[in-house]
Amino acid sequence: MKKLLILFIVALISLSSCEADDICSEATPTTPRLIIDFYDISNPTLTKNVTTLGIIGEGTTTVILFTNVSKIKVPLDISKDISKYQFILNYGNSNPAFINTDILQFDYTRRNVYVSRACGYKTLFNLDATNPFTQTDADTPDGLWMKNITVLQSNISSEDETHLSISF
Amino acid sequence: MKHTLAFLFSLFLVCTSVVAQTQKKTDSIPVKTYRYGVRVGVDLSKIARSFYEKDYKGLELVGDYRLAKKYYIAGEIGNENKTVNDEQLNFTTKGTFIKVGFDYNLYDNWLNMENMVYIGARYGVSSFSQTLNSYKIYDRSAYFGYPQSIQSGEEFKGLSAQWIEILLGVKTKVFNNFYVGFSLRVNKLFSNKTPENFDNLFIPGFNRTYDGTFGVGFNYTVSYFIPIYKKKAPIAIVPKKK
Repeated sequence: MKKLLILFIVALISLSSCEADDICSEATPTTPRLIIDFYDISNPTLTKNVTTLGIIGEGTTTVILFTNVSKIKVPLDISKDISKYQFILNYGNSNPAFINTDILQFDYTRRNVYVSRACGYKTLFNLDATNPFTQTDADTPDGLWMKNITVLQSNISSEDETHLSISF
Repeated sequence: MKHTLAFLFSLFLVCTSVVAQTQKKTDSIPVKTYRYGVRVGVDLSKIARSFYEKDYKGLELVGDYRLAKKYYIAGEIGNENKTVNDEQLNFTTKGTFIKVGFDYNLYDNWLNMENMVYIGARYGVSSFSQTLNSYKIYDRSAYFGYPQSIQSGEEFKGLSAQWIEILLGVKTKVFNNFYVGFSLRVNKLFSNKTPENFDNLFIPGFNRTYDGTFGVGFNYTVSYFIPIYKKKAPIAIVPKKK
């Protein structure tokens, strides 16, 4: 009898201390970022690394820096239906002639989807069907470095797939 | 922590009353009779929580009927209204629940003692609604600033859940026909009608839900026994000496 009681109490305590779902785990997919793959314009089947690429979102001053990668993750604004970024190729290069800035504006619709108690909700995006992005040159024109931009997946619901490809 | 304290307090109270009972001596010649009847009561823990927890209102009535010497038909009926304020979510759950099942007394009473140390099982069902008061978007990058709480107020109606409870409890007669008792319960959900784009994070009667389908609960009851009839113990049965 006593054993049963002890067993029951132990089981109860161990169950009630299962508080793991109070922390939003890194493994849980939450609000996805826009995934962009870079390709070589002279050989479009091959991915090409950006040596250094700095991106700056409109309304912020924080630079997100990517070095020697062909795949980047771009955060989208969850409070607006547009996100506008400066894409600065060869960011911080000592020779200003190598630095080239293009501006990309993404237009999308948003919906908030329930995830879990600890994570709350996540925002999923759908790139606008007619006008998913707008490419413009920098304020001081230096030519466009992105030669070809293609939407691969307009429904941005996870970071497991590539949404946009850019050739340069 | 609050719950742990409540547990320990209950445990202490019930244990001491059990001890006090066992020390009682009777002067008359013992005639063992079993009383049969209905016991009705209320869960004090839910009433107490309604006072000290400002986001909680709850009431649970309990009852059992002694069917056989060791078997009781037992059940609970109640109502809970709870607002949960988590980091990412703030919601209110309101609803009613009913639990029916049986208790089996494991305790060998001496003479005319009527204590119970019992195990039991219940089938529970709850009908409730949830209001999502506000929520936050989880945005790991938080590049454009930390997500702000979004007011919602959306109400999800017509939700329901069914579950099984296994419980272990104690009931002890404190005076006349008054009993105090507590029970610890482990619950397993087997049916859960969840709303679109939200979840049943609290179910009246079941308690908070965790990642899986298990839950835990307890109650602390005061009840009154209404005797209906008596049965004398067969002569052959002599109380065992321990």
